[in-house]
Amino acid sequence: MIRAETLSKSFGGVRAVQNVSVSVPEKSIFALIGPNGAGKSTLLNLLSGIYQPDAGSLTYGDENLIGLPAYRRVRLGIARTFQKIRLFKQLTLLENVLAGFHIHHETPFWRYLAFGDRGRFRDEARELLAFLGLGEREGERAGALPYGKQRMLEIARSLATRPKFFMLDEPAAGLNAAEVDFLLQRLVDINRRGITLLVVEHNMDLVMNVAQRVFVMDHGEPLFEGTPREVQANSSVVAAYLGGEFAA
Amino acid sequence: MSDLAALVVQQSLNGVYLGCLYVMVALGLTLIYGVLNQINFAHADFVTVGAFTAFFTATRLATKVLGLPDAAGYLLSIFAAFGIGALLGLAVNAAVFAPLRERGDELRPLIATIGVSVLLENAQLALFGPIPYQFDSPFARETIRVGRIFFSAQSVLVVAVSAVAIGALYAFLRFTFLGKALRAVAQDRETAGLMGINPGLLIGLTIVIASALAGMAGALLGPVLVLSPFAGASVIVKAFAIVIIGGFGNLQGTIIAGIFVGIIEAFTVQYLGSGLIDLVVFVLLLAMLVIRPTGLIAERKEENV
Amino acid sequence: MRRAAYLFGAAAIVALLPWLITTPYWRGILILCAMNVLLALSLNLVMGYTGQLNLGQSAFFAIGAYASTILVKTYGWNFWLASLAAIGGAGFLGLALAAFAVRLRGHYLAIASLGFAVITYQVLVNWERVTEGVRGIYGILPPVRNAVALFYLIAAIALIVYFVLDNLVRSPIGDTLRAIREDEVSAASLGVNGAIWKAFAFGVGAAIAGLAGCFYPGFVGTLVPDAFNIVESFTMMAMVIVGGMGTMIGPVIGAIVLTFLPELLRGFGELRLMIYGAALTLVVLFMPGGIVQAWSTLRARSR
Repeated sequence: MIRAETLSKSFGGVRAVQNVSVSVPEKSIFALIGPNGAGKSTLLNLLSGIYQPDAGSLTYGDENLIGLPAYRRVRLGIARTFQKIRLFKQLTLLENVLAGFHIHHETPFWRYLAFGDRGRFRDEARELLAFLGLGEREGERAGALPYGKQRMLEIARSLATRPKFFMLDEPAAGLNAAEVDFLLQRLVDINRRGITLLVVEHNMDLVMNVAQRVFVMDHGEPLFEGTPREVQANSSVVAAYLGGEFAA
Repeated sequence: MSDLAALVVQQSLNGVYLGCLYVMVALGLTLIYGVLNQINFAHADFVTVGAFTAFFTATRLATKVLGLPDAAGYLLSIFAAFGIGALLGLAVNAAVFAPLRERGDELRPLIATIGVSVLLENAQLALFGPIPYQFDSPFARETIRVGRIFFSAQSVLVVAVSAVAIGALYAFLRFTFLGKALRAVAQDRETAGLMGINPGLLIGLTIVIASALAGMAGALLGPVLVLSPFAGASVIVKAFAIVIIGGFGNLQGTIIAGIFVGIIEAFTVQYLGSGLIDLVVFVLLLAMLVIRPTGLIAERKEENV
Repeated sequence: MRRAAYLFGAAAIVALLPWLITTPYWRGILILCAMNVLLALSLNLVMGYTGQLNLGQSAFFAIGAYASTILVKTYGWNFWLASLAAIGGAGFLGLALAAFAVRLRGHYLAIASLGFAVITYQVLVNWERVTEGVRGIYGILPPVRNAVALFYLIAAIALIVYFVLDNLVRSPIGDTLRAIREDEVSAASLGVNGAIWKAFAFGVGAAIAGLAGCFYPGFVGTLVPDAFNIVESFTMMAMVIVGGMGTMIGPVIGAIVLTFLPELLRGFGELRLMIYGAALTLVVLFMPGGIVQAWSTLRARSR
């Protein structure tokens, strides 16, 4: 569905991403792993449009993404969450999700001046909140939520854009075991609805249980790609991690 | 030396003199930004407070109360302004900067400094009235002549004081423990904290130094400015331009930019008249923001997403 | 339809005020207050809802004042047409500033907008052929001669502007603007084109400030650049923040309080002007949500 060829991006002297070619199949759950500093988040930022690559090509179906700014990619069905939680903290949960419907509004501008209507997507917003286990808290301020729930809200909000390709940057970071299980279930459900998932993760449980294909990066370069089993067995991957996370 | 050459040299040297004045103001601003990531909108008012302190020290305290000669009185007033600036910085830091430090909000501290600025301006207005004061420095009356170039003793004093101040600041930052700790805090506050440095204390120290410099700049600027409570407004324009051109938090950039703006002003006054200086400087500033918002010599910092 | 009730109530109070306040001096203050409400509302969209620190609002106020006055006095235009043109001009310049400033963040934007205000002020002072510079323009007449009628006119306009803006912020557009205020990067990940919407907020805010500016010279009778120096921008900002940034009623309250408070403090001499700086600093330090927040905290406590 999304295809990157020889993508490169440097910051000053640092080569964050070098010569990365990856192809994410439609409707799959695709994991992106690698030790810290491997360039995973940078790659995600390149895919979502926050950065433009220095070299290489990037296509989404038939569309060429190079040069297209982040906010335009959303209309193509590309959505993402962030490694560092970026919620609208002063707004309520419902308002956060409603904001996600931005690209779906078609009412002409001047009608708002006279009538100020917000009713349209409320029901769908509430459904999304319920789906992510946030149903009873819609009127609370997002900033007041516990950490795990904030992560879920981010997902709900991104789902409001009705994406076809959803990228998540370390969604399990900081979650306890129960919350990770819940997240796992939700990811599988989302994928069942036909949405392609790209997950950047450190949590190997999640990756091994949910991903169909795994792409490993190290020092900005591609290291290995395969099924979870193949990745686990691959010696250079293990070496890159210095044996830490595979001990479980 | 030809007429044109003499004129160019003269104006350039005037520009350096003016530039040094502005650098003194801008240094404090850029120091505060470097360590706090904030702009102190009240900075120019610190300068005005320094100018008024110097004025009253030189004309009332030194000459009438202590009976010192004019020149000594003026020199004393520079120190007084330095000291009062430091105290003011201490007070503002304790009242405004420190409480707001941990919230992580960009706008609130900015607006608080605007509040302090308005407060200071109106306090000075209440105390001193709106009519400008005439601040004459005894050094301004002495002229030195080298060939066809004229300097006033005041300009030599200003450049000398600035050079000493800049030199002292550099030495402090480079060679003392406190100075290095300060640079550490400027680079990465959290890590510096983990290494046993107390960021709060150092930030407070920076603000005190910056404000002292501003106060001293006020003493040096007094004879050049129209000394009223609103004097800060004309200064802040140029100070921001300098800090933006030189790069926020970038000391060398600020110094170079300051001299640059001083020279621009000297030549603008010569060829276009003094009414248009602010306009020229600000157009320059806006142009800078378009072309290279991070300043002439700054490094690029990508936003961490 | 509680909103309709509130609006009617406000209109009724406004209608009554000139009967309760009868001295010419205080009626003048009423007119000033109405203008300040308009100005505070103009800044509220950009600052309170889109989260941009715009220090250049005094420039648009000035452009509204000068453009309309010059068109009327020098070119003999009708006041209303001149005002429309001035509003359009101010709005256009607001978009221009935005086009320039939207790429800048936080303090850069603040400084750029300040720069814009200073440049405008300098142009007004120096372009004497057109603006008469510091000498000023004299003998300007308001569109309606009667002070009470002028008050009703401006207050009615303020009520209409409030109503329209209120609708706007309750609509999805309001959600979009607040998303930009809260976190522009994640707003972009939801499809929001930050630049366009910031420009929109700037333009609307500038137009409304220009609108207020059209009435100012007639009220005062003369027009000098000094009425529009950057201190005015700070004052407007103080009204928005002291009243309660991020709400619609906040700026209105802030404008009313900061218009009347200095008048009530006349006994304190020049110190009363410190009220702007003191109020701003104290509010930002202790009650960032302004009077509106203080009020709702009080109400919550008394339950």
